[in-house]
Amino acid sequence: MRLLRLLITLGLFGPSALALAASHTIHQKGRMFSSELKTVKKGESLTLLNDDTVPHNVMSVSPGNEFDLGSQRPGTSTDVTFTKAGEVEIICAIHPRMKMTIAVTQ
Amino acid sequence: MNSGNAAGGRSVGYTGLSAIIALVSFAQISFGAAIVGETRTVSDIPEVVSDIDSIKVGYQRPQDIPFPENNPYTLKKALLGQRLFFDKRLSNSSAQSCASCHDPGYGWGDGLPVGVGYRMAKLARRSPSIVNGAWGATYMWDGRAANLEDQATAPIQSAVEMNMPLAALLTRLGTLPEYNLLFEAAFPNEGLSATTLAKALATYERTIVSEQAPFDAWIDGDEGAISERAKRGFAIFNTKGHCSSCHEGWNFTNDGFQDIGLPGTDAGRGQILPQVKKMNHAFKTPGLREIASRGPYMHDGSIGTLEAVIEYYDRGGIDRPSRSDLIVPLGLTVQDKLDLVVFLQSLSSKLTPTTLPVFPR
Repeated sequence: MRLLRLLITLGLFGPSALALAASHTIHQKGRMFSSELKTVKKGESLTLLNDDTVPHNVMSVSPGNEFDLGSQRPGTSTDVTFTKAGEVEIICAIHPRMKMTIAVTQ
Repeated sequence: MNSGNAAGGRSVGYTGLSAIIALVSFAQISFGAAIVGETRTVSDIPEVVSDIDSIKVGYQRPQDIPFPENNPYTLKKALLGQRLFFDKRLSNSSAQSCASCHDPGYGWGDGLPVGVGYRMAKLARRSPSIVNGAWGATYMWDGRAANLEDQATAPIQSAVEMNMPLAALLTRLGTLPEYNLLFEAAFPNEGLSATTLAKALATYERTIVSEQAPFDAWIDGDEGAISERAKRGFAIFNTKGHCSSCHEGWNFTNDGFQDIGLPGTDAGRGQILPQVKKMNHAFKTPGLREIASRGPYMHDGSIGTLEAVIEYYDRGGIDRPSRSDLIVPLGLTVQDKLDLVVFLQSLSSKLTPTTLPVFPR
């Protein structure tokens, strides 16, 4: 347990890449991202909330910030933390009209 | 703990026990990939709208055809595109035109289980209808074409379809004086080129729009336009049947990609996005206008009738990791299924015959 607590503490106060608080939320209601462009700092997390009625599959292949949430069910949210500064193109793999850009700053 | 995977498998969770993994894996962050956290359930789960009058609002036909800024509509372009679309000389053999697979007499498909290409070879997938293509998000069953201009020339060049390299086609068309004049009139100071060929074809294709069906009259307020059974089928379509989760809006598609669990090895959208599990065996959701006369159905033409399609969805497809979460047994009654078919039949219009053009010689 002590080891676990220590590791969690390190996680809380350690590198910003492990920041727990999600200060930005992207909604997906109506097969749309709620924003076309969002700016976050490197290491800040972005909350991807599926408040739609169907599953989504949010992902990016932007170099250095690749991710794939897989099938995200309605009524769930997932945080994503970007580790490299630059533009990140995000899409829903299922719904091709859902596209947005994340500007990750230093 | 994660609902998905970062590309390269370097994504980690960061709460609870996952924090340990996060710390252990932290060194890997520098190799690239965003950090994906644990997926949480939230309280504000969206409600599915079940009020029919509210649902009907989403099925209103648009007033205008959208044309892109870089290829606006002109009548000369559309008429040139129509000639090209029906001209068999666009294929290597001079025996196939675009209309061979996208025939207005078959709802702009070909009525076959799978398309027929160069030297009569069977293709892997059914020829999709091109009706209402102006509203598409991507094109082809796997969405590999980003716009109609890209789509229009792809089958021409495909070795297994029309097998006609564009350079050779431009040479062939260039020997016909009337085509040169038509291109120059439609594209002043540009003339005949691969770009203008694609633009003309795409412009014509955008004018191919489904016509008013009884369903549209009902949406516009004529309660007698469709039967009570069709109305009940519409309600099932939007609620118990979950059909509208993908076949939504006036064109009955959101252009999304889903693995509906049909047998077969075709990766579909998985060829374009191989790193996304749910895209394996996924194909673009087709619109349903004129669907009663567009069989056989599915991307592989494997199901012959609408009744059998509904039976298939009621059972759900093959259970595999890529299968859409929307594909589940539906528990439809016999009456539900019959009413769904009647509703789908209400999407058929009295199609205006298409006049074939006279070709330059």
